[in-house]
Amino acid sequence: MGKYQLGEFEEIVLLTVGVLYGEAYGVSIKLSIEEKLNRKVSVGALQSALKRLEEKGYLTSKEGESTSERGGRPKLYFTLTPAGKDAIEYAREVRNQLYNQIPKVALDLKLVTA
Amino acid sequence: MSHSSAQPPKLVLRFFKWFCDPGIHRYLEGDLLELFEANSQQKGVKKAQWVFVWEVIRLFRPGIIKNFEGTQKLNYYGMFKNYFKVSMRNILRNKTFSALNVTGLGVGIASCLLIMIYVHNELSYDTYNAKYDRTFRILHNFGSDVEIPADGLLPASELQVWGNAPIAQALKDYFPEVEHVFRFTTSNSFLLEYNGRRFQEEGIAFGDSTFYQIFDWKWIAGNPAVALTRPNTIIISQSVAEKYFGDENPIGKVMLADSQEDYEVTGVYEIPPNSHFDFNALVSMKTFIGYRPIIFESWGYVDFYTYFTVGDNVDIKTMEARIPDFLSNTDNDQEAYTIGFEPLADAYLYSEARRQPGPTGNEDNIYIFISVAAFVLLIACINFMNLSTARSMERAKEVAIRKTIGSGRGSLIFQFLVESQVLTFLSAVIGVLLFWISHPQLEILVDKRLPLDWLLTAGNLAIGMSLVLLLGLVAGVYPAFVLSKFKAVKVLKGAFKNSKDGIWLRRSLVIVQYALSIVLIVGTAVVFDQLQYLRQFDKGFDNEQMLVIDYGWDGKVQRKLEAVKAELGQHSAVESIAASRATPGDFFPNGGTAVKDKNGEWIWTSPGVYEIDEDFIPTYGMEMVTGRHYSSDHPGDSAYSMILNEAAAREFGYTNPLDIIGKDFMQWGREGKVIGVVKDFNYVSLHQGVEPLALRYSTRWSTTKLSLRLKSDNYTQTLTELENIWMTLAPHRPFIAQFSNDNFNRQYETDARFGNVFSIFSGLAIFVACLGLFGLTIYSTTQRQKEIGVRKVLGASMQSLVTMLSKDFIKLFLIAMVFALPVAWYFMNTWLEGFAYRIDMSWQVFAIAAVGTLVISLLTMSFKTVSAALANPVESLRDE
Repeated sequence: MGKYQLGEFEEIVLLTVGVLYGEAYGVSIKLSIEEKLNRKVSVGALQSALKRLEEKGYLTSKEGESTSERGGRPKLYFTLTPAGKDAIEYAREVRNQLYNQIPKVALDLKLVTA
Repeated sequence: MSHSSAQPPKLVLRFFKWFCDPGIHRYLEGDLLELFEANSQQKGVKKAQWVFVWEVIRLFRPGIIKNFEGTQKLNYYGMFKNYFKVSMRNILRNKTFSALNVTGLGVGIASCLLIMIYVHNELSYDTYNAKYDRTFRILHNFGSDVEIPADGLLPASELQVWGNAPIAQALKDYFPEVEHVFRFTTSNSFLLEYNGRRFQEEGIAFGDSTFYQIFDWKWIAGNPAVALTRPNTIIISQSVAEKYFGDENPIGKVMLADSQEDYEVTGVYEIPPNSHFDFNALVSMKTFIGYRPIIFESWGYVDFYTYFTVGDNVDIKTMEARIPDFLSNTDNDQEAYTIGFEPLADAYLYSEARRQPGPTGNEDNIYIFISVAAFVLLIACINFMNLSTARSMERAKEVAIRKTIGSGRGSLIFQFLVESQVLTFLSAVIGVLLFWISHPQLEILVDKRLPLDWLLTAGNLAIGMSLVLLLGLVAGVYPAFVLSKFKAVKVLKGAFKNSKDGIWLRRSLVIVQYALSIVLIVGTAVVFDQLQYLRQFDKGFDNEQMLVIDYGWDGKVQRKLEAVKAELGQHSAVESIAASRATPGDFFPNGGTAVKDKNGEWIWTSPGVYEIDEDFIPTYGMEMVTGRHYSSDHPGDSAYSMILNEAAAREFGYTNPLDIIGKDFMQWGREGKVIGVVKDFNYVSLHQGVEPLALRYSTRWSTTKLSLRLKSDNYTQTLTELENIWMTLAPHRPFIAQFSNDNFNRQYETDARFGNVFSIFSGLAIFVACLGLFGLTIYSTTQRQKEIGVRKVLGASMQSLVTMLSKDFIKLFLIAMVFALPVAWYFMNTWLEGFAYRIDMSWQVFAIAAVGTLVISLLTMSFKTVSAALANPVESLRDE
């Protein structure tokens, strides 16, 4: 586990950046998460997560062209790095492994009682 | 896209720019603006702005906040934390000294708060009225020997508030500036009855229907605009409403007054506690006009208080200038009658006019209270300074180490200031708690409601906080300078054992404390001496064991007054019995009275009027200077005779009372001869000298009270028996009786209250001073522990040790006395000037105060000195 440390929110952000491939910047990531996961995301929380992910080397950022729309402010686009890709895959693998180890009985039992 | 007009809050943007890491600021701001744009289109600009603010607030987190340049700020924070930690450790380590300081300052702060709320209440009188600034009242002068100046304006002290009825309408007709006029009469007591509930109700006046146009009383039920427009209507205060009607709606209900008149309740009101007059109920003036229409045209009949409002920007001075013209345009028939105007703002605290409609405040008392509050705080601050500097040795090492490590003097000063701030804030918390606990007690003590709400406004809280900061600064700044001054090298070498520094200042501060304490003790002693003197003063009449039965203007009792008197007089405990309109201490009217002078000219004056029957003067043991008192042997007395007091005789120009006997008089439609002069007696409080008084022979219809001189071994039983007799004579009226003494002394209630408040706060101030003294004693005895041990081993007795330890303070005490006694004498002399009859301040008072202070301080010190002197010398001399 020690190799790729990812918080739950960080994982979602990382995945979303992947999904939005090439179009991932603050607002689009925020809206996308809000829409798909039906949860509120504050600019502050998102920004902290992005910053941490960049420090861990899972993301890189690049300044986009400025438009008149955002008060002349440029967008900062994020893309996955190879390490970021590995981290997502690792996280997914761990989850699948864990899921597969659940005894069938536990899942069945749930059905019975339900 | 078109540029939308919606803008996010500029200030918030700037705030964001200020704290945001400049590396990412541009992008984040872009994101925020984009979201704002989208939100304002979807949810509206208002909502979008709130979301924007909320987002920015949540961006205020590590990772986004920029690193503030340099290391200064971070260091400040660290040092701050350290200062707090060291302060707390110090406070906890020296529990005794911290407790002394915190208690002293806490008591000081609580006293200040209590006095502040009291003073604020005094200053807030009548300010609840929206037209406060343009409300005035009429002051009157009814013919007296005062020379009226050419401009017709007399000083307020020569005028009285109580006046006649017709002036109100005349004023409104003549002055276009006057908007509204409102009159009310003196309060009377009525027997009110509703649905079997029957009580004698004090404080009921007649009033004009215009009250609501001038005074903003709290209105609870009914319509104020029409409440008093009809005859036989009454508006009642909330407490009266609750008493008679409980949960019922009183509006439209009919109350029976004095068993004969029906009054319809048309309103329920509440006059705020900070009003300079108050009624339990107000009956419409139309009712009164119906009873006695003539007095509403009489310029000489005095029973009304008149208030009026003027338009905006009216200069009252120009109105005053027109008073002579105004009066000459009325049908006024009174000689030497003139008026003045007084602003409502002066009515409670600053009015010098006589015959006020309610109790008035005293400006001097306010200053005295404020000074006492300041004294308590000052004494507490001195405690703090003395204890901190005295114990500076204990901190010397800490200071030296800090300096060695590189602390500058400035930061050391700052550290000690933080420490005093922590302590004062702790004290403030305790002070507020003490205030909270004692506030209801203060209300009982001053017999006033002191609402807390004004204290709890944001502005006042902010002021309070800054005052606490200031207090911490004042108390801490000197110790901070002293403590930060130590030379590190000296201290660490160990050559620095004892500080003579500041010992003179410390001594001077102790002298100040002593002096303040002595002033306060002298003050307390003088106040109580004076109050005692007032109570025991020979008033010129005897009202001991005098029972006064009050039957109001009850016609049923008046009708058979002679029978009632005879029946009650037969009881074995009743020595004598008299009927009158007023008894000493009660309210009484003034009346236009004329007596012919030596040349046969009529002299008009307006003395007080007592209406008395033939038994009044003997029953009260009053002395006739000359002539005789009323007697049933002279049937003509009831129509043709008059008795005056010495002051009245003098006012009519007769220095020798003998000469006025047999002179002609006129008063209230009665003419005849003066038959006697009674020796001056103090029928009002001893704040004033004896004023002229006419003792008019009463008819049964002008009496309201019976005075019974009792002689009994068992007053409870006598009272029950008298009540039983009363109930057979007048079953419809409750037996309302009180001892005349109690009634008379009620005039001194304000003085007594002042005395109580003053002595309690003086006591607190002295208590705080004792705390400080105790602290210093602890310190000095600890310092001399070894010396005491050595002396003891060499054979010193306990007494000599205690004397040695107390000697220093006694010297300071003597110096303090030299300063304090003249100051105390001066202040108390000023205070005594408010009394027409006052004590001479004897040297005994000062001696008692001085000895008292000395004894208190020796006792305080003895808690420590005795135990120090008793301690086993082995303990202090052993050195391992």
